[in-house]
Amino acid sequence: MGQIILGVGDYGASNSPADDVKTFALGSCVSVIFLDPKTRTAGMAHVALPDSSINKAKAGEKPGYFADTAIPALLAQMAKFGCDKRGKGMVVKLCGGANVMDSNDTFQIGKRNALAIKKILWSYGMGAVAEDLGKNFSRTVSISVSAGQITLSSPGKPNWQL
Amino acid sequence: MVKQLNQEELQKVVNSVPMLSPSASQLIQITSQADHDLMDVIDLVRTDASLTARVLKIVNSAAFGLINTITSIDRAISYLGERIIVGIAVGDSAGKLFEKELSGYESAGGDLWKHDLRTAIAAREVVTQSGVDISSELAFTAGLLHDIGKSIISDYLHGSVTDAVEMITTDEDLDYLDAEEKLVGFDHTRAGYELARAWKLPEELAEVILHHHEPINAKEEYRALVYAVHLGDNIAMMGGFGTGSDSMRYKLDPEYTHYINIGPKTLASIMLNVDIEFEKLESSFTGSGDEN
Ligand SMILES: [Fe+2]
Ligand SMILES: [Fe+2]
Repeated sequence: MGQIILGVGDYGASNSPADDVKTFALGSCVSVIFLDPKTRTAGMAHVALPDSSINKAKAGEKPGYFADTAIPALLAQMAKFGCDKRGKGMVVKLCGGANVMDSNDTFQIGKRNALAIKKILWSYGMGAVAEDLGKNFSRTVSISVSAGQITLSSPGKPNWQL
Repeated sequence: MVKQLNQEELQKVVNSVPMLSPSASQLIQITSQADHDLMDVIDLVRTDASLTARVLKIVNSAAFGLINTITSIDRAISYLGERIIVGIAVGDSAGKLFEKELSGYESAGGDLWKHDLRTAIAAREVVTQSGVDISSELAFTAGLLHDIGKSIISDYLHGSVTDAVEMITTDEDLDYLDAEEKLVGFDHTRAGYELARAWKLPEELAEVILHHHEPINAKEEYRALVYAVHLGDNIAMMGGFGTGSDSMRYKLDPEYTHYINIGPKTLASIMLNVDIEFEKLESSFTGSGDEN
């Protein structure tokens, strides 16, 4: 069984039933998950920040890092497995985007990430069917490609499905 | 099993922790003085042959991508900056403490060092990007040491993770510090403070360790520094580098706005720089010095 481990700003996809696609300890980062039932392909991007305009060079080198560059990059990656280029027919799920306990807005990067991602998905005519976003704990997330099943974990909590 | 500690037992545990090496300890002393200069650092490193060798090895490691080898310790230190020298000395002398598995937080070996290094880098970025008038090098050192108390109480918290998480999920007024205190009698800031005193760390660093989750309680003269580390700590956790079960489970002290001026844009830029800088530093120095 293969494990495709994605770090911050990485994205990847697989259609090999033996694979898991996994990312560790999402804090304010958001994991964007695309499942394509037709080709049985699963993809994920580990998005750190909402907007690539702060550093174009970084966006060129790691498009998965920013919401606005991650989604086109992940779609292009999935197209290599025969998925629709604009994401038609794909199931979208989102998780992560935690926030520290804060009474003012500046540190709500998790919230801003989720919002930016939803906006871009909307521009593709896509929307999430399931999400586990926000709150104040970190999440590790794993997709099993064979079942298209998403498992989340966080220390001190029983694992749960999305 | 979770075991309650009393003051006397905590003191005993703290006293059993090895002292910092003389070089590490003196480097911390010198670099926390406002009027020191780099020459003082260079003179001190020169007296320690193994530290000198380590610094030269690190400056010439692939991470820094230098074309010409640096052979003089003066140039190596001015190139790296004193914060990196302090980082190397602390990592070499207290590596065991930083690298140890924190089973009480279900956190793997090495996580604490990475969290501390991220916090150090972030605290420094907070200082430079907000323009607050404190030493960015000192903010780095303070960030490196802020959570040292976790390695003291972790063993006592063993097996408590589910209880701790449940405790603060059911009562929203509580954060992980409250859980620690309820479970073992002391939170990690208090344990770290006792170690800071045993190590005779400068007062401002002890204040950071004691108050990094509620800087408002720090002495006014050190408060801006404590806030810088407080924000750096939160940025490290938000970036996915916590120490297991407690990650993101603390309150942000809203009064930071009176000391440090950062908006959403600056914060995004800080987070990005932390990722870039961390990648460079992580590969070049580790507490364990594993490539030796
Ligand atoms: Fe802490
Ligand atoms: Fe921390």
